[in-house]
Amino acid sequence: MCGISGIIGSKNISGQLLNSIRNLEYRGYDSCGMALNNGKGISVKKNVGFVDDVERKEGLSRMGGKMGIAHTRWATHGSVSQANTHPHLSCRGDFACVHNGIISNYRALRESLQKEGHKFLSETDTEVIPHLMEKNFESLKDVEKAFVATLRQLEGTFAIAMISIYEQDRIYCAKFESPLILGLGKDANYIGSDFNAFIEYTKTAVILDSGEYAIVTGDSFTVKESLGMEPVEKETINISWDVEMSKKGGYPHYMLKEIYEQPQAIVNAMGVDREKIREIAEAMARSERTYLLGVGTTFYVAKYGQYCFSDISGCFLPSISSDEFTNLAEVDEKTTVLALSQSGETYDTLSAVRFAKERGAKIAVVVNVIGSSLSRLADYTVLQGSGPEICVISTKAAVSQMVILTRLAAEFACARGKINESQRDEIEKNLLQLPETIQRMLNEKSGFIHTLAHKYSHIKNWLYLGRGIYYPVALESALKMKEVSYVHAEGMPGGFLKHGTIAMIDSEHYAVVFVPPKEDKKLFDLTMGSIEEIKARKGFVLGFYFNSLDMNNDLFDERITLPSINAVSAPFLQLVAAQLFAYFTATALKRNIDKPRSLAKSVTVA
Amino acid sequence: MKALILAAGEGRDVVPFTSTRPKPMIRIAGRYLLEHTIQKLNECGINDVNIVVGHMQNKVIDTFQGGGDFGTNIHYVRQQDARAGIGQAVSEAKDRFIPGEYFMLIYGDVLASQNIFRHTLQAFGVSRSAVASVNLTPSPEMFGNVYLDPRMKITRIIEKPLKEHRGNYVLSGVFILPYSFFSVLEEAGNSMELALSQMAGKNQLNASIWEGGWIDVAYPWDILNANQLLMNEWEKAVIDKTVALKGNVTIEGPVIIEEGVEIRSGTIIQGPAFIGRNSFIGNNVLIRNFTAVGPESTIGYGVELKNCIMFGRSTVGRLSFIGDSVIGTGVDIGSGTMTINRGELGKSVKTRVHEAVIDTGLKKLGAFVGDDVIIGAGNTIIAGTVINAGVSIPHNHSYPM
Repeated sequence: MCGISGIIGSKNISGQLLNSIRNLEYRGYDSCGMALNNGKGISVKKNVGFVDDVERKEGLSRMGGKMGIAHTRWATHGSVSQANTHPHLSCRGDFACVHNGIISNYRALRESLQKEGHKFLSETDTEVIPHLMEKNFESLKDVEKAFVATLRQLEGTFAIAMISIYEQDRIYCAKFESPLILGLGKDANYIGSDFNAFIEYTKTAVILDSGEYAIVTGDSFTVKESLGMEPVEKETINISWDVEMSKKGGYPHYMLKEIYEQPQAIVNAMGVDREKIREIAEAMARSERTYLLGVGTTFYVAKYGQYCFSDISGCFLPSISSDEFTNLAEVDEKTTVLALSQSGETYDTLSAVRFAKERGAKIAVVVNVIGSSLSRLADYTVLQGSGPEICVISTKAAVSQMVILTRLAAEFACARGKINESQRDEIEKNLLQLPETIQRMLNEKSGFIHTLAHKYSHIKNWLYLGRGIYYPVALESALKMKEVSYVHAEGMPGGFLKHGTIAMIDSEHYAVVFVPPKEDKKLFDLTMGSIEEIKARKGFVLGFYFNSLDMNNDLFDERITLPSINAVSAPFLQLVAAQLFAYFTATALKRNIDKPRSLAKSVTVA
Repeated sequence: MKALILAAGEGRDVVPFTSTRPKPMIRIAGRYLLEHTIQKLNECGINDVNIVVGHMQNKVIDTFQGGGDFGTNIHYVRQQDARAGIGQAVSEAKDRFIPGEYFMLIYGDVLASQNIFRHTLQAFGVSRSAVASVNLTPSPEMFGNVYLDPRMKITRIIEKPLKEHRGNYVLSGVFILPYSFFSVLEEAGNSMELALSQMAGKNQLNASIWEGGWIDVAYPWDILNANQLLMNEWEKAVIDKTVALKGNVTIEGPVIIEEGVEIRSGTIIQGPAFIGRNSFIGNNVLIRNFTAVGPESTIGYGVELKNCIMFGRSTVGRLSFIGDSVIGTGVDIGSGTMTINRGELGKSVKTRVHEAVIDTGLKKLGAFVGDDVIIGAGNTIIAGTVINAGVSIPHNHSYPM
């Protein structure tokens, strides 16, 4: 995905615009650029690299101008090169455009434009837009009409922003599926892919719907519907996120900051209105079948949810990875789909949800970003309220979703009559202990986990084992390790080990084992059995275990002791400890923590 | 912003070197510890530096003087009683600072890779209120441990906690404090711990998490660790144009060789390594990585130096091996001297620090040789030995006997 931004005001905005794409960098960061209208035509500066690199090379902040658009790119069509970097210009340089998403019919458009003599400088799908603008403007002699004509020629999912030399007091933008919002400030108005684009300058926003376009001037905005060009009434919303929350402050990385914000994220998840949760639980209880849907981290969260529903209600609610959903699922009107996505823009999850919706399924979603595409498709939306998650690697958003799924499982069990309300309240009471216990663990165990991570940062392969609900914990912990440190880690159920993988185990093999609290005797004994199997083959075992354990045996080579806590909360503590282990391994290996190679914050392509 | 560096303490555990110099005058990677601090402050635009001196203060003042040679301005504050503690030291510098302004406070024995000061300034830029740098260390029991809340406020400080509280972030010894801190300190009876705890209790102290390398030089072997920390950052070789390489000298990796150095043929230098000005390196010498030969030293024929820090003006006689060791100034090591640099049966080496015998945790460790020591020819020095300043050892012994 990419980040787009635009600012129009009464003063020079180039510094603000640079800052804006810096705040959007997590959406894509292989190249970036800006186009400003400084009264003497449109000037464009762009290059490959992180925003700060490009600023050093090109001096974006010194461009000058009262209106401009900017882009930070995550390559989909065309390689990472200066030519392919946005903004793109028309032949005469009278239109400049930035774009997020995919224009699916760009080849045909490009060929016909080329035949008419338009010269293309890049390999991108985006570049057809300014050339179409130029062509349409020639015949229609009106920027707005040309813009609408252009929109009607484009197919695909996209959000675009455009400036021209013909109307120096306005920015045009449009949304078709890909996210786009407006920000209304005192001295200037803003366009952005999300709130981070302008949260430093204003907290008043307007969310565009798909198919709408907007004309934004320094002190006003008009939203119209792109088919009929009819004006649309839009309500403004207030963003409650604190500016400071979008900043790193004294933390070395957003990842650590967001790990530390988990207690608050849990408090916020516990604060989600019970009615919202009950509504979904009851819809699920009425359905013949419910699927839990996510991809990447959210799939592991869904898998955690599957165990939760089974533990609490005894019901089987399959979790499916969104990208495989259409290959597997049986969907009809008696189906409910519960989809998880931090951004609400995840391509695979969106297409799975559309597939289910077309077949009449009820859609419930848990998302962190207001006004996201996923929530627009949903019958029921839970806003998890975790605040912006900037690090590409998800920590607090995932933990918050786990809390919401646990609450949902309890409500669902209530609705199906499997537990009573006081049992449900007991589960919630247990969850309420989490924030304080996690905070304490962060303050008392970080140093020890740091030391261990540095000691074992040279290990190239890890096996992460867990049984029962600790199996998704193992999967998610292994994914954290892979994502942030580029170290191979394989999550596996403890019982699965002896069916094949065990052949690999020798003194050179390293395993992390998530040991359940001893009170969970059956699972505990089985897990210890897995450890015995590894130790018998001289493998190395790092155990994540709880205080209450009597550790008079020497099965573990290393251990991370966690504060003892109720069974509902135990998986959370292990996951947080594993997040720290992955984080410190990555810092020992000097990885690019907040923006690991090849990863984007939300994957909006197939 | 002005800075205040505390360099008055005795640092008596860094045997035998602090009996003849204050701790910040120890040389690491070819420079004084204090010099590294001043240089990194300079890099982030802080060039109004106040240094509290006490123990052996003339060594600091004579070397750094007004700071001109180091691109900064230095003012000295003399602490009357160097044993009175750091709170007292900070108080005595009060007149050097301006009411209403913030200043940076630095413990003089702390060393970090990269620029910990810039990082702390960045955190200050966001919070615009008091900041303490914090970091993780394998030995938190030696330092003030902090508890953080998610908004990066320090909520609690526990000095040298018990084992069950281990594993916290510790204070790195770099702070940005308001002028009003002086009155907080005064009310706390000049106890730094109490004053910082009071600020934390009122939610007035922000943390800045330092993820880079960090060492508090508390024991002599910390000099070796600190030296490695800094040299690992080196990326290029800098050889002064006056250096005379007399044929067939092999230089690998990042090295710094200063003016007037002469190196004879057959010598191999494996960087990272440092050779200070006007030193003489004889024929067929092997200088292995993490070695720093201080200025005006003489290394004889066929000597091997490995992970060895020499402060300067010392001589190592022919065919000696000095490994994993720290050598003070003016030391004369006779020919054929061997340091034994590993513990028995693969165990880590122990070292005597005053009355205590401490396990250093290092599998490889040689000797700590004080200033002006004379070692006769043909000696063997046992691993972990401390030789006090001014001691003379006759020829042909195994020391300590």
